[in-house]
Amino acid sequence: MGLKSSFMVAKRSLWRRKTKNLSAILAVTLGVTLLVGIQITTDTLQNAFLTSLLQTEGEVDFSVANATTGGCLTQADYQKISNLAPDAVGIMPELTMNVPIMLGSQFDSSVKIAGISTDYPQEFGTFYDWKTGDEMDINDLLTDNTTILFSSRLAENLGLEKDVSLPISVTTEFTNLTITINIDPTTGAVIPTPVFGTERVELSVVGIFDSSRPGIGSKYKMVMALEYLQQWNSLQDVNRETDCVSSYLVALKTDHFTTEIEESYLQEQVDLFEASMPENSYSINSNRLTFFSVAEIVMTLLSTMLAALGLLVMVTGILLISNVQLMSVEDREFQTGVLRAVGENRRGIVQSILIENVFQGILGGIFGLIGGLAFGQAVALYLVELFGTGSLSVQPVVSEVVVILAVIVGVMLGIITGIIPALRASRVNIVDALRGIKTSFEKKSGRNLVAFGILLMIGGTLALLINGVFDESSQAIWLTEGWDTIDEWRNILIGAGLLFPGIGMVLSRFISRIKALNITAFALYLAPVILFVVAMGEWITDITGLSTDILIIGVTEIIVGSVLLVAVNLPPVMNALRSLLVKIRGLKGVGQIAPALISSHKSRSTLTFAIFAVIMTLNVTVAVLVPTNLSSVVETEESSKGIDLIVSLNKPEMLLPDTTYLEELYKLDSHITDVIPFKTYTPTTDYTKFVAVNSPLTPDFDASTSLLPMGYGEITADQIRGNATDASDSDWRYAFYLSSFPDGITKPVDSDVSDEELLKLSKESWDLFFDPTYTMAAYNVSLDALLSEDRDLTDVDLSNLGGYSGDELEGVAMLRDEYGEVIKNPVVFTDSFILPLGLQIWIPMNTTQYGAPVYQAFTVAGRLDSERAGGFPLSSFSIGGLFSDGDFDFMDMIGKIYLNEYWANQTNFLAEANGETSTSRAPDQYDYYLIKTSYEIDDPELDSVAQAIEEFTNTNNQGYRDLAEDNFYIASATVLYSKIESTLEMTERVVSFLQIYVTFGLVIGAVGMAVISVRNVSERKREIGMMRAIGFPRTQVMISVLLELVVLGVIGLVIGIINGVVISVGFANMQSAALIIPWNDLGVYLGFITLIALAAGAIPGLFASRIPPAEALRYVG
Amino acid sequence: MESVTSKQKENAATKEPILEINGLHKRYSEGKSNEVHAIRGLDLTVNKGDMMAIMGPSGCGKTTLLNMIGHLDRRSEGTIVINNIDTATLSDGKMTNFRRDNIGFIFQLFNLFPFLSAVENVETPLLLKGINSGVAREQAKMILRELGMGDRLYHLPSELSGGQQQRVAVARALITEPAIILGDEPTGDLDSTTSADVMHLFRRINKMNNQTLVLVTHNRWIAEQCDYIVHMSDGKISRVEQGPFTSQEEA
Repeated sequence: MGLKSSFMVAKRSLWRRKTKNLSAILAVTLGVTLLVGIQITTDTLQNAFLTSLLQTEGEVDFSVANATTGGCLTQADYQKISNLAPDAVGIMPELTMNVPIMLGSQFDSSVKIAGISTDYPQEFGTFYDWKTGDEMDINDLLTDNTTILFSSRLAENLGLEKDVSLPISVTTEFTNLTITINIDPTTGAVIPTPVFGTERVELSVVGIFDSSRPGIGSKYKMVMALEYLQQWNSLQDVNRETDCVSSYLVALKTDHFTTEIEESYLQEQVDLFEASMPENSYSINSNRLTFFSVAEIVMTLLSTMLAALGLLVMVTGILLISNVQLMSVEDREFQTGVLRAVGENRRGIVQSILIENVFQGILGGIFGLIGGLAFGQAVALYLVELFGTGSLSVQPVVSEVVVILAVIVGVMLGIITGIIPALRASRVNIVDALRGIKTSFEKKSGRNLVAFGILLMIGGTLALLINGVFDESSQAIWLTEGWDTIDEWRNILIGAGLLFPGIGMVLSRFISRIKALNITAFALYLAPVILFVVAMGEWITDITGLSTDILIIGVTEIIVGSVLLVAVNLPPVMNALRSLLVKIRGLKGVGQIAPALISSHKSRSTLTFAIFAVIMTLNVTVAVLVPTNLSSVVETEESSKGIDLIVSLNKPEMLLPDTTYLEELYKLDSHITDVIPFKTYTPTTDYTKFVAVNSPLTPDFDASTSLLPMGYGEITADQIRGNATDASDSDWRYAFYLSSFPDGITKPVDSDVSDEELLKLSKESWDLFFDPTYTMAAYNVSLDALLSEDRDLTDVDLSNLGGYSGDELEGVAMLRDEYGEVIKNPVVFTDSFILPLGLQIWIPMNTTQYGAPVYQAFTVAGRLDSERAGGFPLSSFSIGGLFSDGDFDFMDMIGKIYLNEYWANQTNFLAEANGETSTSRAPDQYDYYLIKTSYEIDDPELDSVAQAIEEFTNTNNQGYRDLAEDNFYIASATVLYSKIESTLEMTERVVSFLQIYVTFGLVIGAVGMAVISVRNVSERKREIGMMRAIGFPRTQVMISVLLELVVLGVIGLVIGIINGVVISVGFANMQSAALIIPWNDLGVYLGFITLIALAAGAIPGLFASRIPPAEALRYVG
Repeated sequence: MESVTSKQKENAATKEPILEINGLHKRYSEGKSNEVHAIRGLDLTVNKGDMMAIMGPSGCGKTTLLNMIGHLDRRSEGTIVINNIDTATLSDGKMTNFRRDNIGFIFQLFNLFPFLSAVENVETPLLLKGINSGVAREQAKMILRELGMGDRLYHLPSELSGGQQQRVAVARALITEPAIILGDEPTGDLDSTTSADVMHLFRRINKMNNQTLVLVTHNRWIAEQCDYIVHMSDGKISRVEQGPFTSQEEA
């Protein structure tokens, strides 16, 4: 019989088995939905992310600025630029200033205000009113030096509801200079003391433009007419220049939002400019190019993660489809037997089944596409909620490829998953099939399988031999060192993954398959378990290079190994379950039937619990990750005399005759037990206070790359040691952990150092820090990427962000002066991740009488640990920065430099080293306070303490403002726990995003259960009749149906929990964190799975129990 | 088989009715155009210890009657009294227990659970009665040995011959010592020698335990092994043939 008869058989069985076909189509639909969904989400995410980054650039492709920070460009430069870029559609001048602004009690310490020409080229876009959406004519609005425009984002941040004209206070530093001259009584030298006046101007907001609209509006926060901002700016300039322009913005095309510029073309243009303009005079900057590369890095990371997870969830879809196909074939073994008996050949059987599968695949593909679009849309909406900032527009991106792919994948899924069952069907023994005998599993293997096994063994051995033999940079597995790097483990896992199945196949020729499979499964499981549990904790010291591929291989092997192990041993497990149940009154009959049913349909049962095993492994891993992270931070915080609150003032506290801010804080709440005050300073725009990373005294000094706008802070001995006088004293006021230590502190290289050891090292380091005579050698290290000319952020080494990093300076040469002497400097500590240990830096101590900075060289001798909470409060870098809404503060991100008391007193910004200046201050004029309370770190009461502090400081003419007689004081009080939480927020966001996929896996599991339960009941009608005939009550029939599902679900859950914990142990080891198992979550999963099983089984079970036995017994399938 | 020997003494038990059927009707697809009136007002009394055969052409309602007696199917009209209990008064749950305790089934297609071994199939009704699993296992083994299946205890049904499967089915029907054993073509799938073996077994059970047997069959020889034969046609009893029959001695 040929194709025609196959078609006929396929057509008949498609039509007759409507429900059964439906379940196959449903399975394919779910698989395709997932695939399409993942594709759409990834495309959408990439698009949204890039768009949100690029939108802030408006239509600007690159800018040309003066290479000296704060330096000016002039009209002459405009000519140069327009000559160099004949293709530019627009070039516009821009002047930017960072100013602190105050609106009511709202305060922002540094807001960029931009001056643009009111008749700027229209190619840069138009301002639109945020409420009406009408075009705004800025010529009519920005008419004098007190009128400005606000962006709608800023307006919303400040809580402005409507488009109102309101005054804001801006402090500008005028060079309103008076010089007092003193004569030093001992030396007779003349000491000139300049005094700067600080003035405030009131500006009115005359309009608010829409910043969520692409174009010029999305680029700015506050806009002023260029000529008027130039006037204000000139006041800071000695020469009173009024035509200063910070940069010229160049647009190479219009309408970037609709069609983005070619990255390569832009790069070409930027290269051209860089080549043509002298680099020490001009700096060419293209944020657009940087964003392209940032988006690429982030998306590569995210899409690999998504792909990995999607792949694993996809596996569950394939398991479901295979299961349904397998059932279809098993279901009609009898029919196949009859067909074969009446003369159909094997090929015909395969053909007719495959024709059915293709049909199911096409339908499933089409439905899956629809489902995927809906899924993608839903995920996109969720993304907005998750990462959205209002300005982030998330439009689902559907590429044409996806549409075609969906249907093809549907068909492929149908065929691939159907081919093995189809072949199995075609090979049925006709007599056995007609008699209803199930083919026994425990046979020995044939020669083909052995040959394949040998091939796998060779492949596996070769993979293992890569280490140390083919690739000599790694060590062979028979050496202890052969197990201590990630790269070695990659090959070990691949080798194990091939070798052990190969061994199993060969062995199964000689011993029973069960035994052979047991050996394979156990060995396969063991390899990744050793990696996660032992190697990651003990052997592997350097986890760089840990990539998604090795995780996928490890997780896959764990899942396959565990599922296989349970599957092979299902009969003994089920026997155990039977012995348990037959002892329970009322369940004896159920105990006799349900476990036997499960082990009699081994493949089907395995496929069912495998779905849950995969999903639960992922779920548990994800569920364990967040609490483990959080707890590791909180635990350390709790054990390190933790700070609960951080308060920062916008400017140093007022010197008051009767009280201090510090004293007032103690009075505010009796739970406050200790307040540690600090002096900090951030040179917002004043580059004479910037730190230099190259010697300012050499010709190499280049202001554009050598000066950094980093903040400073003073740390005095009593601030952290309290009454303790030496490192061994336990009575330290606060445990500031360091992650890098100065010379003279002996540190172990082992990354597995305990917190106690680190604290001890840190205390010894602080003792050195407070010793004014201590100096440390400067080393030959440099800030690479961040300050290199191309500012290639991809090269920044983020691995030292926090956490102990061992002996960094081993093998690094010390710097020597021209006489060959080692250069030794006083030391500073830092919380910045960009300053490497051992770096020589220059800090402007004070100013000469001519206004030039006087520099002092230091060595960066220690870094505060941003991971351990002990060092956390001062280190302000937060991972959430990239996504946090609106204000991405670069200065906050690069961190601060901490000086000891002696050196802080030599500066004119932390003390009054050189008499009165606009920034100098008295010894106890603090602006930053770490507060300890008697509350637990996560006590919600801390919020009300924070609120009380802010109310006390930020209310006009009351509290502190009244005491200081100054309404320009603003305190922001942060509960440390919320800060810790916010650094974990990004992790949580990503995790909850990943959870969508995992949850979708649960849906697949649930549908799988429903399909299986419906099929079980219809297929076992006859058996149900028998049960009823020999006296099974309805309830026990129902319980049998439900129990099977619950048992399979729970097996999956147990495998998942064990696997999840094993994998999490690995992650916890990597972070040296204690593993926290969220039992509540696991309880929820257990409940959920039971619920799914009950829901999936309830209706079919009820139906089954209600079939009249006589009718059921007539059923022949 | 202990229970059998203990009941040997009661061999000459007094004749009392164990099953009384009055005005029984069964309609399939009631009220629909394709309604089938399978049993049409049937009356029948079977005494304790009787061994009765039901014969008749295909479709005359034999199996339907048997299913009604065993309460595998619902009746449309009429009463069935078993052991002086009017089963119409029983709820489904009570009926299930009643069936478990009083009625044993033997089917043409054996209806053994394919995924349970011989001994597991046999012990299942005892487990349903709440009997300790160890005790149930011992009793099942005993009865199987009694029926000559001692060396096939742990075989799956698919590994047994037809006759062996039927012995397992018989063992399962007997193990709860039911008052009535219902057989629907119990030898229909077996060759004549095996059929004779099975019938011999039935007669032995009937005589030793004084258990009532109701068999549906097409086979005249099988029917003649019973005490009397009830002939059915068109859903009614057409005539009753009283034994003993000559072929009984041959067997």
